[in-house]
This record gives sequence, C-alpha cells and structure tokens, in this order.
Amino acid sequence: MNARLLFILLLLPTVAFAAGHEADENISERDSLKIAALEALMSAPPEKALPLVDKVLAGNHSTEVKERALFILSQIDSDEAQATLLRFAREDNSELQLEAIRMIGIGGDDDTLASLGEVYRSGDSDVKDAVLEAYLIADDSRAIYELAVNADNEEDFSNAVDMLGAMGASAELRELRGQAGVSESLIDAYAVSGDADSLRELAMDGSDPELQKKAIEALGIVGGEDVDSTLVQIYRGADSDDVREAALTGMLISGHDSGVLELYRGATRPAEKRQLLEYLVMMDSDAIYDVIDQTLAEDQ
Amino acid sequence: MNDDISKLVEAHEADVHRPPAHVVEQWHAAIDEAAALERGRQQQAQPSWHPGSFFWGVAVTAALAIGIGIGYVLSGDNGVQAEAPVIATLEPGVRATPAAFTRGLAVHLRDSRQQIASLDDSTDSTMLLMQIIEQNRRFEVAAKHNNAPKLARVLRAFEPILLQLAAEDIAPESAEALRAQLAFELNVMLTKLANESSDESHTT
Repeated sequence: MNARLLFILLLLPTVAFAAGHEADENISERDSLKIAALEALMSAPPEKALPLVDKVLAGNHSTEVKERALFILSQIDSDEAQATLLRFAREDNSELQLEAIRMIGIGGDDDTLASLGEVYRSGDSDVKDAVLEAYLIADDSRAIYELAVNADNEEDFSNAVDMLGAMGASAELRELRGQAGVSESLIDAYAVSGDADSLRELAMDGSDPELQKKAIEALGIVGGEDVDSTLVQIYRGADSDDVREAALTGMLISGHDSGVLELYRGATRPAEKRQLLEYLVMMDSDAIYDVIDQTLAEDQ
Repeated sequence: MNDDISKLVEAHEADVHRPPAHVVEQWHAAIDEAAALERGRQQQAQPSWHPGSFFWGVAVTAALAIGIGIGYVLSGDNGVQAEAPVIATLEPGVRATPAAFTRGLAVHLRDSRQQIASLDDSTDSTMLLMQIIEQNRRFEVAAKHNNAPKLARVLRAFEPILLQLAAEDIAPESAEALRAQLAFELNVMLTKLANESSDESHTT
C-alpha cells in the first residue's frame, strides 16, 4: 500500500464524519478540513468517492463545502454523478444551482449538457448566463446556436450570439444569419470571431445603411492587411458621406494610418483633407508632422 | 453578461504581451535545459535559478513542443497512452516523451496556484492574471490537441474566474472566495494528474 493511498484511507473517515455533523464553532477551520478531505477524495476510486460526496451534498454544510463537492462530482465518470449534478442544476433558486450548471460544463457529458437546454428555458437571467458559460466551457457551440435560433427575445438572442462570437464559432454565426437575419449583435460577433469575409459582404450591402455602417466599422476590429485595403476601397467607392466616415472609423480602429495618409494625399477637396487630417491626428500618426509641415508650406 | 463578454473580448485583445528581454533569455535557457534533460544528458545547473524562470521554461517548452505539432498521443482524457509510446522528434537528436505535456501542465497548475495565492488586494494584479490567463489558454489548446478534452474543459472553466479576479472593481471578499475556489480546483487537478502519472508509471 503506498503512502498516498494510506493517507486517503485515513482521511475518508474525516469526510464521513464531516458529512454527518453540523459545524457549530470555528466554522472556517472545520470547512478547511472538510475541503482538504474532499481534495483527497480525488485520489480515491469513484465507487468510494461518490457516496461520500453525495453524503456531503445531502448534509448540513456550508455552501462553500458543497460547491467543492460538486467539483469533485464533475471529475467522476459515472451516470450517478451526472444525475446528481443535473438534480442540483434543476433546483431553482438554490445556492448550488449555478455552480452545478458550471460543473456540468466541466464534466462535458453529452446527455447532461443537452438537459441544460430545459434548465435554460425555465431559468432566470443568471441561470441563462450560467448555461451559456457551461456550453462555453464544454466547447459546445452547437448548443448555443440552438439557444440563439430558439430565442424568443432580443436579449437572449444577443447574449447567445455574443458567446458564439467569443468562442470564434464562425460557422454557427454564419448559419444564424440565414436563420435570423442580420442584426447588430451578429455583426459584433462576426467582429469578435474575426470573420472578415462575412463583414466584407455586409459592408458592401447598402440595403440597410445603419447595418452597413456598423459592418464597415466592425471590419476595423478584425484588422489586418486585407481588411485595411478593403476599408480604403470602401472609402474611395463610397456614394455617401456616412459610408465614407464609417470607413475612416474602421481605419481608425484598425490603426491603418498609412491608408488615411494615402487618402489625404489623394484628396483634393479642402473639407475632405481637413477631415482626413483630423483622423491622422486622432490616430497619433508618425506622418502627421510631415503633413502639417507640408500643409503650412503650401500656404506660404 | 455583456460585461463578461466585454472582459473576454478585452482579454483576447490584450492577448499579446511582450516579455522583457531577460525573461526571454531565461526561457531559452530553460528550454535548452529541458531539451537536454529529454535527451537524458546531465547538464550543469544555471548559475541563477528561479522558480519563476523554471515555470516559464517548462511551460514554454511544452507549448512550443505542441505548437510545432509533435505527436504526443494521449489516450482519452487521462494522459495515459493507449498504445506504444510515440516518441516524437523535436529536432535532430532531441526527443520528447508524451509525459512532457503532463509535466508541463502540472507545473502550470502549481505555479498558477502559487501566484494566485500570493495576489494582494492592495496591488495591481491585472497584469499577472492576464499572464496566467494567456498561459492557461496555451495549455487549453494543447490539451485539446492532445485529445484531452476533460483537461481542456477544466482549464477553460478557470478563465471566467481569472477574469473576474482581474476586474478592478471586485470586492475583497469576493476575490478571496474566488481565490479559494481556484486553489481548490487547481489542487484537485494536480492530484488527478499525479494519480494518472502514477498509474502510467505502474503500468509501464
């Protein structure tokens, strides 16, 4: 018998004892001991660990101790462990509900993750956020896509789309455009996920001027050489001041001062030159002093 | 929710940190040392050794090893090989073992635990936490590439907590609770990794 196993066997009674007795004094020290015992359970075989964790969860312990027990459950591969996590995840307004949802994400069991859909639908905004985070942890972008498609209000849709953006789930976000149409939150998510192709397409589509402007500006968030040259092209081909200004804002965001400088040098109208100069100043471009010098010299 | 997303976005945007030159030198020294160890050579210790540089060295060694696509093969989630060990070549004469990933991850978890425990409410810890997050992401990607989705999920689950800790307006008691939670989860994962390494060595 190795030393670690011996240590675990010595600690197991401590967990069992802790599971059956309410801490009445010196709670934090008692909790520390219980938490140390729970940590040690990680070395125990699942068939020994599971009943002890269940006992802790059923006992009269602090929320902190029970939350730690939930984490141990997430690391145990068994249907019983998953069932217990789901039971806590379904308990509305319980102190452990949100943590149990997170643990289901960490556990990554497909069936239990699928059951979170129902928890999401019946939950409040905190529960919904926790479910989205659990799917993020489980890297389950498809489940979030389903929540977005079936969202019955703008906030839920937007939150799900934001999460897909943070996950870089470009395929799902593109699919959403076909399902739900273009929206501001979808454009934000394209930007965050770095989907320049989708944004470029929307930037060229003038059917909704507001969304077109937002897409052009969002291109700046993605950045990169291709995007920079696209923004210059959009500026040059713009048929409205709004589109032109959106392209400039995009260049400001991406830091493409050489593009703005190029446009400045090619501009002929004083008002346009002035606007481009203002952008160069805002961008703190190294070329600004040459431009100022040149402009002042022209006046002499 | 939008705040959380904003934090994630900010963290992604702040993803690149240029390390100081002396730290890079320490990494290189540690990488050379780790490579030599992998070759089974005896190498003299560096004159000035710091736990921090060791952490970065091992962590970067692991990340580099994974980044160049060497063929670590871990079965399932447990870090134990399913078949015969796959020994990949880092460069001529330098061989890496599959255990390097597990060891690198253990060092990352241990150092994260130590750094998080030493966080002081009175000091600006944002930069340190961002470095931990960055390193955590590398290992998360590595775990994913090494067919260890369970480890990847746990590492992914750490990030929202680290981001909350990095928030400037977090209440001291909330920060303390989050640090305690992370310490526990890191300890459990270290225990789990140690068990699996032990099981591996007993079965080989």
